[in-house]
Amino acid sequence: MDIILNLLPHIINGLALGLLFALIALGFMLIVGVMELINLAHGSLFALGAYIAMTLIDPNIAGWGSFGVWYMELSLTLRYVIGLALAPAFVAIVGMGLEICMRRTYGKKAEYGLLLTFGAALVIEESIRIIWGSSEQFLPVPEMVSGAFIAGGMIYSNYRFFAAGFGIFMIALVWLFLEKTPYGSIIKAGAHDSEMVRALGVNLTVLRLMVFGLGASLSAVAGVILTPIWGLRPHVGVDVVIPAFLIIVLGGIGSFWGAVVAGILVGLVVGIFGAYASEWSLMSMYILLIIVITFRTRGLFGKKSALEN
Amino acid sequence: MNNALAKPTPIITKPMIALFVMLGTFPLWGEAVGLYHYLGVEIVIWIIYALGFNLLLGYTGLPSFGHGAYFGVGAYAYGLVQLGLIESVWAGVLVAVIAGAVAAGIVACFLSHRRGIYYALMTIAFGQVFWFIAMKWHTVTGGEDGLLNIYRGTLSFGVFDVSLRDNVPLFYFVFAVLIIVVICLWRLVHSPFGKALQAIRMNEMRAGFVGYNVWLIKWTVFMLSGAIAGLAGGLFAITQESAYPDVMGLHASGYIVMLTLIGGGFVSFWGPVIGAIVFFVARDLLGSITETWLLWYGLMFMAVILFKPEGIAGIWQDLSKKLSRNQKQNAPVVSQHVKAGE
Repeated sequence: MDIILNLLPHIINGLALGLLFALIALGFMLIVGVMELINLAHGSLFALGAYIAMTLIDPNIAGWGSFGVWYMELSLTLRYVIGLALAPAFVAIVGMGLEICMRRTYGKKAEYGLLLTFGAALVIEESIRIIWGSSEQFLPVPEMVSGAFIAGGMIYSNYRFFAAGFGIFMIALVWLFLEKTPYGSIIKAGAHDSEMVRALGVNLTVLRLMVFGLGASLSAVAGVILTPIWGLRPHVGVDVVIPAFLIIVLGGIGSFWGAVVAGILVGLVVGIFGAYASEWSLMSMYILLIIVITFRTRGLFGKKSALEN
Repeated sequence: MNNALAKPTPIITKPMIALFVMLGTFPLWGEAVGLYHYLGVEIVIWIIYALGFNLLLGYTGLPSFGHGAYFGVGAYAYGLVQLGLIESVWAGVLVAVIAGAVAAGIVACFLSHRRGIYYALMTIAFGQVFWFIAMKWHTVTGGEDGLLNIYRGTLSFGVFDVSLRDNVPLFYFVFAVLIIVVICLWRLVHSPFGKALQAIRMNEMRAGFVGYNVWLIKWTVFMLSGAIAGLAGGLFAITQESAYPDVMGLHASGYIVMLTLIGGGFVSFWGPVIGAIVFFVARDLLGSITETWLLWYGLMFMAVILFKPEGIAGIWQDLSKKLSRNQKQNAPVVSQHVKAGE
């Protein structure tokens, strides 16, 4: 009993972390599911979203004239909402641009897409360095969700719970979109058999463009929500893309609930591991992956995928 | 890579001699064209590393995105031997090779059943595990700073000694290692084993049907590639006089993939050599103009993947093919444009 009580805070933290991991993996899952493309630029789009949101929330208003003055008089909460809404839209455009470049690699080996997005990740990261500089920055959050509270002798940050709640909200939203709308049906059908979908008269080119844009904007949402916790630096993308990749494979490529369950599982493992050896906590997820993949090639809920060849 | 089977491959070829002459005389002309000796050492080490890596990527078609791990293991092994056991360069380099081979051999046990993207993912996961160990196991690896104060030492040949303190003798030492590696690898890829590697790249399942033990071949090639990476890492530790976790990270592992591909590792044995030279010269030339040279290098890499996945060696082959076609004007056009990269 004592052990459980001692572990409880770590389990709660782990659960919250797991929801955040699941949030990161959502956009990645969408792209890998429909396009069978490992998007290594996911993390850089995440960082780009966060940087754009930071600029929208706390802009350098010199030279903006009366509009700048008016804008800065808006409350922080309102500006935060504007950032959270507009940054993903910008990133979606960048993602669509990337998808247009990507078209030449369709039909070739999956590694080409992976390599191209690796190059894109490098380019986006360096562009961030040019525009915003290399030093660590700070993304402001509204007062409503900042601060901390104490429960059972442990300090919990409000923002973490807000972020976890937002994670649940986004997961529900994406699930509703995929399951309850005609667009979701088309996307899922495209993931299942793209040739048949094309034969039914769906414009596959546009579908892929939209899915990539949507996936990119989801990674940007995750970036805006998460960087207040993890800090905002140009190479934050690398810290993000690998867990996202790992969660998708752990859950099984093409499985929505697989990604969510794997995200929470990874969060829990990292949280509980952190209770005993905090230095090594992030390594536990790789060990988890190696163990699972050694025994279950396709992950926890995976089905056969073209990426295996 | 598409040499006819019937003709026995010579052990020494013209491009090989050209490379050896060019690199062997580097200390004489390098500084005249604005480069420096240390750059030569670095390039030679990375050529060794990239040649070993291409055994995996170009010949067997197995993408490893965590190869920095074995490079790093070699560097740490060299450093630990030097600082803790004996101050012998030979022993250090030997242990570095063995350490790289053992680490890669263990990992390959988990990898060799996997294919395609799952293979790539597992290499990333293992690469991260090694990186984490290097970062966090302070008592052995020195954490984020790494192992410092590794002496360059002296090469003992029994009758005479050579100090590696200056860059020129060090250059000739790594150059001698390169000659051995190039000749061995050239021989290896033109042996039946090398053909089996290419068969696996073309179609793993068919290679299995023909009777090759695909698992064992994939295991062996990964282990060999890791051993060469370990060798390069050991040499790197001598050069840098330290071993640190940076070379094991995802970025460093990505660079080796990028430079091998840009050079044209898919279509030519010499692709990684070209790639390593281009990478380092680009780093120095672009780096002296702009701080964000990686942006331009990344864009170049994207362009190569999009328009010419065969890389610089592929462009070269196309040009020489066009040239020979122009020479025999009325001869029928060669139709067998073998696509090797896919």
